[in-house]
Amino acid sequence: MFRFVTRYLGFLKAVPGTALVFDAWLRIATIFTHPEVSGYIDSIEREISGWDNTCTGIHKYGGLQFSYAKHELGHIHSNGLLDMRFSREIKQQIMAVDSRVEHHHVFKSTGWISFYIKTEADAVYAVKLLTMAYEEYRAKERTGLPLV
Amino acid sequence: MSKIFTPQYNGYLVANAVGFAIIGISKYLSGPGSNGVLIYSEFIIVPFLIGIISAWFWRDDEISSMTLVSRCVANCFVAIVLSMVFLSEGIICLIIVSPLLWTFIVAGCFTGRAMFRRNNNTLNASVLAMLLVLFVVDSTSVHHYENMVADRIVINAPVSKVWKNVVAYKRNTSPDKYWLFRVGMPSPVESTTEGYYVGAKRKCVFSNGYVFDEKIVVYEENKNLTFDITDQPRDPEIMGHIDILRGQFLLQDNGDNTTTVIGNSWYRLYVFPVWYYDIWAKNVTRNVHLRVMEHIKQISEAQ
Repeated sequence: MFRFVTRYLGFLKAVPGTALVFDAWLRIATIFTHPEVSGYIDSIEREISGWDNTCTGIHKYGGLQFSYAKHELGHIHSNGLLDMRFSREIKQQIMAVDSRVEHHHVFKSTGWISFYIKTEADAVYAVKLLTMAYEEYRAKERTGLPLV
Repeated sequence: MSKIFTPQYNGYLVANAVGFAIIGISKYLSGPGSNGVLIYSEFIIVPFLIGIISAWFWRDDEISSMTLVSRCVANCFVAIVLSMVFLSEGIICLIIVSPLLWTFIVAGCFTGRAMFRRNNNTLNASVLAMLLVLFVVDSTSVHHYENMVADRIVINAPVSKVWKNVVAYKRNTSPDKYWLFRVGMPSPVESTTEGYYVGAKRKCVFSNGYVFDEKIVVYEENKNLTFDITDQPRDPEIMGHIDILRGQFLLQDNGDNTTTVIGNSWYRLYVFPVWYYDIWAKNVTRNVHLRVMEHIKQISEAQ
């Protein structure tokens, strides 16, 4: 359903508020079908919120966004789909190591990845991926490189 | 008192009180000119705001997303009860509106949670100002929406037999199949006419005794029966929110002793947003058509 909507009705995200409403539906559906996923998202949120200089917010296309110093680390749609952006090289490395990591559900030929959080182990791995992005920003900050 | 006005209960009580106060003020300011129209703000902006206000009261609660959604269900229930009491809405309407309310209360609540965690007053004020602007713009806009629904059925009877049953038909006693009819929405059961000519008065009787007064405006025997609805009941259940303007039966002789009947209805909606309520309006009108046309088919084929 999520893939169908993002593929064929993705243009609707340009309408203000549509992504927010769709994410609310996803949240309600997930709570009925996979209630544990909602708990995993909460635990990831608690973990990331404890890191220095991070904050959470609403992603522009729906979902929970994690940011470091105003730069997005990644976002989780309410069905448990984590989207993150890496460099293409790092993306290739991550995908080579773990088959659960997929090309982004829309932007396939970019550095974006998608990762479905379905189990507790997935939640642990999601935190690991977010840690990688976080450490990358921290390293850039330490060396004075631009954070983009 | 302090046990009642805890942050958790304020999340229900104050949020809904503010929501209904906004609706009340908006109705008061728009006056009788609003013609009973319920605009999209009342089903989208207000529930969204109820969600945000609830999130503000619950901002210090360490609650899971599951609990927050459960509280949104309770909030939706409170809003529905208040709608029954203060807006005199019927059960069917509330069944129809509840998915919309719940969705926007959930969306508002999670947006509010994110807003208040950031604790950015500029952002919070901007969101509320945007909602206010949307509400005012929507409240002062003209809301008028008309549409039509068409359905067809093939009857194994010659057109002359079908025609008689199209103009007027005896009472339909078969059980309702459509789920909304089963839970109490009135369904059409009988049609009577004072004559077979243009200008003749026609009545469509519903299962709960409602009568739609109609006047035949086109009478082309065995071909076209078109009638305007001249009076229809006002009721808290759906009929206060939709007006059926015109009905039409077009008959086509298929040349093989069968007849194709096309039923058309034109209606006007008094509830917005159209993208939500028109789905229901089409669905209900379609099922009214089907109930009537299947009855006409049954009695025509039995004759």
